Amino acid sequence: MPGNITNRVRELRQAGAGMTQQQLAEAVGVSRQTIIAIESGRYSPSLEVALKIARTFGHPVEAIFSLEDDAD
Amino acid sequence: MSSMSFQEKSAWGTLASLLVIGALYFSSVANLWRAEQLHMASMFGLSVGFTVLLVMVLVGFHIIVAAISGAENEDERDRLIAWRSGHIGGIVLGFGVVSIVLMIIGGGMVDSTLWQSPVIIANALMAMVFIATVVELALTIWFHRRGI
Repeated sequence: MPGNITNRVRELRQAGAGMTQQQLAEAVGVSRQTIIAIESGRYSPSLEVALKIARTFGHPVEAIFSLEDDAD
Repeated sequence: MSSMSFQEKSAWGTLASLLVIGALYFSSVANLWRAEQLHMASMFGLSVGFTVLLVMVLVGFHIIVAAISGAENEDERDRLIAWRSGHIGGIVLGFGVVSIVLMIIGGGMVDSTLWQSPVIIANALMAMVFIATVVELALTIWFHRRGI
């Protein structure tokens, strides 16, 4: 269930020139609603989608997604 | 509405249609039962009529939604939601069917003409399919809204 994985998708999407949720959704191959759900923590994506998001932002996946425990 | 995916809109429309048409169907069955006119022939006519009505309403609804907001392909989240809500709906249906079998056996010991009547059994099965589908659709909406 969602809740124990945090992510920086919104922060990275809005950084720099900015990217719309629709643009990110098209780059990753999911719906805009799925990007909204990921950003709000209501859905943890599959490894495939997480890797595609990481590739889109040019960051390693662990720099975008992390377990809440890692913050301790 | 714009924040909803096509699948969520579909679930809302199907649930609303099913609740309205299902309520009309079961109230018609109850009225026929009270009038002692509930036979297999009348029940067959009712179920075919309401099924055709439901299909027509759902086809019309989906055409309108697709024309207004465009149909979307399912992604992994939609498939996961469909699998999980369908899985729970299947459990509800299985539980209901076992309950009906117990009703047939247990009720048959008390009053076999009532509890083993084909009309009663057929309507009990229809009711369980209805309930399982409503549960599945409600969970689909819940998972879309609250996360999965």
